[in-house]
Parts: sequence; C-alpha cells; structure tokens
Amino acid sequence: METLGFLMEGFAVALTPYNLMFALFGAFVGTLIGCLPGLGPANGVAILIPLAFTLGLPPETAMILLTAVYAGAMYGGRISSILLNIPGDEPAMMTCLDGYPMAQKGRAADALAISAVASFAGGLIGTIGLIMLAPILAKFALTFGPAEYFALFLLAFATLGGITGKNPMKTVIAATIGIMISTVGIDISTGTQRYTFGVLELYEGIDFILAIVGLFAISELLFFVESRVGGGREKINVGKLTLSFKELVSTIPTQLRGGVLGFIAGVLPGAGASLGSFISYTLEKQVLGKKGKFGEGDIRGVVAPEAGNNGASSGALVPMLTLGVPGSGTTAVLLAMLISLNITPGPLMFTQNADIVWGVIAALLIGNVMLLLLNIPLVGFFVKLLSVPPMYLLPIVTMVAFVGIYSISHSTFDLYFMVAFGIAGYFLRKLEIPLVPIILGLLLGPEMEKNLGHALILSDGSWSILWGSSLAVGLWVVAGLGLILPYVVGPLLRRRMNAAMKESPVSD
Amino acid sequence: MTGFGDRILGLGLLVLAVAYGWAAQQWPEPFGGAEGVGPETFPTILAFVLVIGSLYLMVKPDPDAQWPVRKTALELVTSVVVLIIYALLMEPLGFIISTTMAVGTLSWRMGARPRMAFITGLISAVVVFILFNYGLDLSLPAGLLEVE
Repeated sequence: METLGFLMEGFAVALTPYNLMFALFGAFVGTLIGCLPGLGPANGVAILIPLAFTLGLPPETAMILLTAVYAGAMYGGRISSILLNIPGDEPAMMTCLDGYPMAQKGRAADALAISAVASFAGGLIGTIGLIMLAPILAKFALTFGPAEYFALFLLAFATLGGITGKNPMKTVIAATIGIMISTVGIDISTGTQRYTFGVLELYEGIDFILAIVGLFAISELLFFVESRVGGGREKINVGKLTLSFKELVSTIPTQLRGGVLGFIAGVLPGAGASLGSFISYTLEKQVLGKKGKFGEGDIRGVVAPEAGNNGASSGALVPMLTLGVPGSGTTAVLLAMLISLNITPGPLMFTQNADIVWGVIAALLIGNVMLLLLNIPLVGFFVKLLSVPPMYLLPIVTMVAFVGIYSISHSTFDLYFMVAFGIAGYFLRKLEIPLVPIILGLLLGPEMEKNLGHALILSDGSWSILWGSSLAVGLWVVAGLGLILPYVVGPLLRRRMNAAMKESPVSD
Repeated sequence: MTGFGDRILGLGLLVLAVAYGWAAQQWPEPFGGAEGVGPETFPTILAFVLVIGSLYLMVKPDPDAQWPVRKTALELVTSVVVLIIYALLMEPLGFIISTTMAVGTLSWRMGARPRMAFITGLISAVVVFILFNYGLDLSLPAGLLEVE
C-alpha cells in the first residue's frame, strides 16, 4: 500500500497544469516522430533533449516530457506500418504483417483505431507492471556494493546488443569506445588531465548530448542521403471506421496476453520492444491456430504486436529506473537526461528523488490516456503528415538538432563536434558497430570507474573482490550468457522473424 | 577480399588502443602512491579490451557492407560539407540566412525542386527563429539581419 501512496504523490506532480502541458506536447511530438518512417523513439528523444535543457525545465518536467515523447513514438510507429508497409522502427515491423493487408482491404481506419486501443492496453499493462515490480527491484538493488555494481554495468553492456544483435564482439568494441570517450577530461579523483591534448573545450569531457544527437540524428540524415527513398508518396485513403464494439471486445484476450508478454520482454535486459512485439505475435498465432487468418489482415495480428511493443516500452523503464541500467536504446537516451540533470539513476533514486520517479510513472499513465484520446481523432492529421516527403522533413529535423545543441552552449565548437559524431555514426552503422553501447559506455563509464575504485579500496587493492560475492558472480554469469546467447539464439530468432515477414503475401 | 571494411576498422582501432594505452602510462603517479586505482588503471584495462576486440575483427571480419560509390558518395560528402559550412556561418550570417541556405541545399540535393527547397528552408528558419527568440526566450544569432 506504500506504493499506492507514492503513486498518488506522483499524480500530484504529474497533474499540475504545467507538467500536463508538457506531457501533451511530448505525446503529440512523439507520435509525429514515430509515424515518420526512419525516425524512431531514440532519435525523437535525442532531438528533444537539448530543447528540454535549454528551456531550463525542472527535472521532473523534463523527464515527463521525454517519457511522453518515448511513449508517443511507440504509438506513432504503427501508422506507417499499417498505411505504407514501412515500419517506422524495428518494433513496428510485426505490425506490417496484418496491418498492411487490412489497409489494402480498405480497413485502414479500423486497423489504426484498433492498434491505438492495443497500444493503450499494452502501455497500461506495462505501466502497472512497472508500478508493481520497480519498488521491489529497487529495494533489492540497495544491497548492491561497488563490486556488484561494476558487474551489473558489465551485464548491461553484454546484454545491450540484444538477442537480435549480430556480432557480440562488436558490442564489446562499441561499449569500449564509449567508455574511452568518457575518460576524456580531468580525472575527478586525482585531477590528472586525461586525453585533453591541452584543448580547453575538452577539460570537462565530451558532452554526451553532442554524441547522442550526432550519432542518432546526423547519421540518420546521411543514411537518408545515401538511400534516397524519398520522393512523393501516393495519397493514402484511410476509409471509414467500421470497427464494431463486438469486434473490439473479441480482441481483449489478445490485448492482455500481448501486453503481459511485452512487459516481460521489456524488463529482460537486452530484449526490448522488438522481441516484445515478435513473441506476442507468434504466441497469438499459436494460440489461435487455424481460427486466425494471420498475414491476411487478421485484426488480432495488429493487436498482438502493438500491445506487445507498448508493454515492452514500459517494461524497459524498470531496469533503467531501478538499477540505472537501460534495457533499450531509447531508455539509454532517457538515462542520459537523468544523469545530465544531476540525478544518479539507481535504487537510491526511489528514496532521494521519489517525486521524479513517481511523477514519471504517473505521467506514463496519464500519457497513455492522452495518447489514446489524441490518436483516435487526430489520426487523419498524422496520416497527412506521412505524405510530406522526407526530403523536406529530414533537413528540418537536422536543423532542429543544430538549434538544440547551439542553444545549450552558444558555441559553434559543439556543432562541429556533433557533425563529427554524425560522420563517425554513419561509418560505424555501416560497419554494423551498434551505437547504443557507445552511448551507454559514455554514460556509465565514469560510474564504472568510480565503482571499480571503491571496490578496490574496500579490498585493499585485491581484484578478487570483483567476483567476491555470489550476487556478483551471478551477474558475471548472466553477462557472459548475454554475450554468448546472441551467437546461439540470435541467428535462429532473426531467421524466424524474416520467415514471418516472407510468409506474409505483401512482403515485397 | 571480403571483410575489408572490418579489417581496416580493426587496424584503426588497434592503433587507437595502443596509443590510448601508451598515453595512460605516461601520466605522473598521483600523490600518495599507486594504491588502488590510479588515473591510468581504468584506461589501461580499456586499451587491453580494445586490442583484443580489434584483433578479433581482423581475424574474423564480417562480410562487407555495400559502400556508396561515385555519385552517392559525392552527395554524402556534399551533405557533410553543407553541415560544416552551416555551423561556420551560423553566427556571422545569422540563423535565418544560414538555415535557409543549409536546409534549402540539403532538400534540393535530396531531390526537391530548388525553388520549393529554399522556400521550405526559409519558412522553417523563420518559424524556428520566431519560436525560439520570442516564444521560448532563447536567443539565436540574428547576424546580418540584426536591426538596431
């Protein structure tokens, strides 16, 4: 019941008109970003971080804004999947399978409406799960010492490549590069200048906001220039809403299963929303068997992955809020925001910054309601936006990134740095070096070094303390599994996902 | 040769790792002796991990990605140059002029008609400028358009 009290306080924070306004704005912008093909939640949150900063928002407001953007982008992802058969990001891929056939049969409006409801159900279930699980996990994490934390960070890196990640060694390399970047600047404990080459701008280290915006937004622009998928699109006809109440009710079991499965996938380190939507869809196909017409526009084929990916997006916040270890790329970006607000994420946050944690959780609930209300009437508007060619949109998005970064420091030096990160991001993505571990390395590097130092001080310099407790050993084992599993499970899972895509009659 | 990209990357990272690790050994020992963790401990570990990673890449590279050729490569370089010039000119020319040029050029190079591209650039620049300077109270440089 203690939790309920905190949640009420959270609502008190989230329901102030000021915070509500930002939640609404975030939900709207998030949906906008999510429905644009090519821009996913990670880009969306990355681009808005500088804005949240320059506006000098109070921490809880900034977090509410970004969480709303995150949830909104997850909602928006489905629109281009259904209408264009182009997933906005990976988790939205499974929605194409039945969403696009529905649209081809003239039921686009129904698919959009039911997927909005499914997103809501998934988001709601995920948030309820978050409310129940997070405080327990936070309490458990309070028993962690520096050695356990060090192992936990390693676990985060090891599993972040995700089960769908291709080459685990590349995840290791990426994380190492990220941590290396984080060591630039003056060493806090000894005052030694490290890798600054006497450049004044480097004394305080490299701001990870520059790295994030450059790696995500600028490299996206370069990728677009290369692929040139742009150009105009044919007008999309959404059609009339014919969804009956009975049909809606009949999908309730699918919504529940999808939401719960998604949430579990979200909590697991490294699994994330892609896995959430995939397993929800697969399970539904198996449960219904021949009774469903999956791949041909079955309404439950839209409901399952959408409930799954939105459940997962709330689930991914569990390890981020309780352990300070993000479960996905977007939550890594959210973590960056927390750290730059001088809030140390982790179990202590639940006691020290309870207003922020519970404010964010309450905002997530409110955001989901807002998104549902926003998505049904405004779907026409978002659909119109889809017909704006990306050759106009992407330059504008890039400009917004420039403005955001410039407004933080009013220094053009930062802009060059951002462009440099963008170019590096392009090459790294080409070489399939994942970007998220780099970001995470940048974020967690200083914490890792600090915890390593503390652990060694406690043990009088004996390195064996790092695997001195059974908990630490457990974390090391899971981290090891996180690196090995992608070799075993990854190819299998990817083959299955591709097979599922191919089975669908509209995979071309 | 397959895996060319990964091998080059591996070589580059190996050089980086060695230089990074070597630099860490050059720092003076902090006051109070080398007990526990010095400023060089953590970087040394990182350099070691990266050496292993880069060697692995060179020995077992992934198949090559499709790299852009000629025209596309030129377009990519153009975009990067536009971004750098944008950063360079933002303060002297002011936000509106530099943004119109940058967004316009980018859209145009991506296939928009030049007129439409620059009109889009101008409109978005003016909207963002007004929004930031008057709506959000964050000053963007007015540059040449400064009225005083």
